Amino acid sequence: MEFAARYQDGLVAEVRNVHCVIDLAADPVALVILDGATREVIDRWPESECYLLHSRMVELRIANRQKPAGARLAVNGIADTRAALRALPALVTSQGSERWRQVRILVPATAALACVLVAYLFGIPLAAGALVTFVPPAWETKIGDTAAAEIERQMTGGKGYVACDANPDSPANKAIAGFVDRVFDGLGSPFRPTVLVVRSDIPNAFALPGGRAFYLSSLIQASRTPDEFAGVLAHELGHVYHRHGMQTLIANSTTGLLVGFVLGDMTGLSAAAFVGSSLIQNRFSRQDEAEADRFAAETAKRLGFSTRGLADLLERVARDDSFSRAFALFSNHPLTDERRAALTALSAGSVETVPAFTDAAWQAIRDMCPPPPPPPLPRLSSAL
Amino acid sequence: MAETAAAARVGRVEFTGSRHELLGIIVGGYALMLPTLGLYRFWQATWKRRFYWQNTVIDGEPLEYTGTASQLLVGFLLALAFFLPIYIVLFVLSMQESGLVALGYLGIGAALWFLTGYGTYRARDFRLSRTLWRGIRFDMRGNAWAYALRRFLWSILMLPTAGLVYPWMASSLWKYRWRNTWYGDRQFAIAGNWRVFAGTYYATYLVNLFAIGATVGWIGSTHDVTMIGSLPVPGGLGLLACLGCTVLFGLSLAWYRARTASRMLSTVSLGDARLTVKIRTGALAGQFVVYVVGVVGLLVLIALALAIVGGAVYASALEGGKPPTADAMLSSFQSPSLNVVLLILAYLVVLGAFGLLAEVVLGFGWWRLLARSTTISDPDSLRTVKSAAEDRALIGQGLADALNVGAY
Repeated sequence: MEFAARYQDGLVAEVRNVHCVIDLAADPVALVILDGATREVIDRWPESECYLLHSRMVELRIANRQKPAGARLAVNGIADTRAALRALPALVTSQGSERWRQVRILVPATAALACVLVAYLFGIPLAAGALVTFVPPAWETKIGDTAAAEIERQMTGGKGYVACDANPDSPANKAIAGFVDRVFDGLGSPFRPTVLVVRSDIPNAFALPGGRAFYLSSLIQASRTPDEFAGVLAHELGHVYHRHGMQTLIANSTTGLLVGFVLGDMTGLSAAAFVGSSLIQNRFSRQDEAEADRFAAETAKRLGFSTRGLADLLERVARDDSFSRAFALFSNHPLTDERRAALTALSAGSVETVPAFTDAAWQAIRDMCPPPPPPPLPRLSSAL
Repeated sequence: MAETAAAARVGRVEFTGSRHELLGIIVGGYALMLPTLGLYRFWQATWKRRFYWQNTVIDGEPLEYTGTASQLLVGFLLALAFFLPIYIVLFVLSMQESGLVALGYLGIGAALWFLTGYGTYRARDFRLSRTLWRGIRFDMRGNAWAYALRRFLWSILMLPTAGLVYPWMASSLWKYRWRNTWYGDRQFAIAGNWRVFAGTYYATYLVNLFAIGATVGWIGSTHDVTMIGSLPVPGGLGLLACLGCTVLFGLSLAWYRARTASRMLSTVSLGDARLTVKIRTGALAGQFVVYVVGVVGLLVLIALALAIVGGAVYASALEGGKPPTADAMLSSFQSPSLNVVLLILAYLVVLGAFGLLAEVVLGFGWWRLLARSTTISDPDSLRTVKSAAEDRALIGQGLADALNVGAY
């Protein structure tokens, strides 16, 4: 068995045409490399240490574990290739084992990555909840102040909020502060939230780190009963109590790292990285909303007002449509249907309820931000 | 006599790979990317490099790529260390006021821009140190940080000079790269300087500046503009002029790239062996045209697919000949998780198709064009090159991957 090849010794950049002969008498069996012209022995390769490298279609490239890293035999042509494979049967098995080696790296790596992903999705909300207790409340309050100023600037275009009732001792503000006190009494929270009712066309309410809650006037106008107003307020106070704003900051800071790792784009600039991060962040946000709903329901039970108010109000201002159902995973709030079902389950067994505010207090709150009068009819201009 | 004959011999570079073989590698890689959560990208990159390397035959002997996918994977993991401090800064920034945030993002942008230089240098180092020819390894020495700093400072100088300083920047960086490139124990040399770039660069610069300036000025003077939202859209002739500017830009880019690469690479030498590179502008421009045709074709295909899907949804929502409401149309998509999967799949298919097109037309095209345009004078002088010590550095390539700047 003999085949022609090109030989490089891996020490000098020279290519020699050689003949290779298998020496079965040697121990161990060796491939003898002879100069193509003079047939003098150039090198002896132990047969068992030969392995095949990946190469283009028309070529066989053989290396040897006992020789320099660049030492090669290159075989071309059908006849010589066949002869080489017959002479060195270990080559074919070495190729198969190399493929298995790659699979043995890739499969555990994928499994590990999948574990990291799952652990991240379930572990980070827990970890953030634990970590947040180590954040000093003063620090969180400062962050909340910065965020509040930033949101105010964005919402009002730099003009500043129009508070519905700037006097903290007005009946309405005192009623709200009294409600906050009743909710937070005995909870052991480091925060005593402040609620600011602000004039806005957007029916919404939100809470920031450090205990600042904002209630927009349109949502008060949309509320029909004091319990609806109290339900939403209790939900926002739940965000404050659980320190969700701070938790979100902690949780989201690592999401980019994870998504970047999976997609291979650590800069997070690609659309895929953006979508991936938003899917994960919205999942965390939905969990927070559900937790705030639970807080609202428990508060309602504790203070004796109706838990149905929150669900009723949601039904009016945030009713699900087919669009929100279709893209529920891209939403930062759970579907209203789901929230309603969860609230109903939580309020099971509640007894007769009394409204969260007295009639007088509720009337004062309703009157804080009366809807603006309809705009005057346009006057006919002289040009017409 | 024999010696002069050997000195006169010229080595050719051939490229023996075919586009459909590359297509198979890329499509197969995409197919395995999903079940491996994206990890297969390291294996795909390795297969692509093997394809390019082993089909590049220099003076009768192919290149060999000896890097492995696990090296890329480990390198990527190590590169994450560079990103941890950046993410910590981002976390702190997320709690600051907007002025400070803007400043912080600027700082992070600058840091990433600096790291990109480091990453590209180390990536080149990684590739070269895993490239064998005639059994001898290439290598990259020099200091990647020094290169990154050089590139960073030059690119800052680009801003106040409106890009006019580019020929000096390009020649400085080319020289640093090539003078630190080794084949075994022999060092590469490069004789080209800023003059190689200057003429071609300024001509391209002026032609495009003039064309764009004239077009904008002309559209402005005719007032033939329709406002679509806040975006002014010029009329028919104006649009034609804009198209002309784009075509001119593409052609001048092909001319610039072919000419500067040919002239600069032709000054590269390794001992007595010299490179001669003659890339034809027409061939490169032809690739650009094929690519644009491909992109347009893909867009048409996507539009067709959207029309078919939209039509099917419309038809299924149709009730008794009445046009369906948006609600009825969406009723076929009421599973949120299925929707996300569908969206991700559609995104991956579209992105994959464009990536495939760029790689198969432009990446493959440039590599093959460069190989076939190159000859080496006196390749026999390289027979005396000896091998140098091993290089097992991993981190550089990983950083380039993480920064999305790794080519091939």
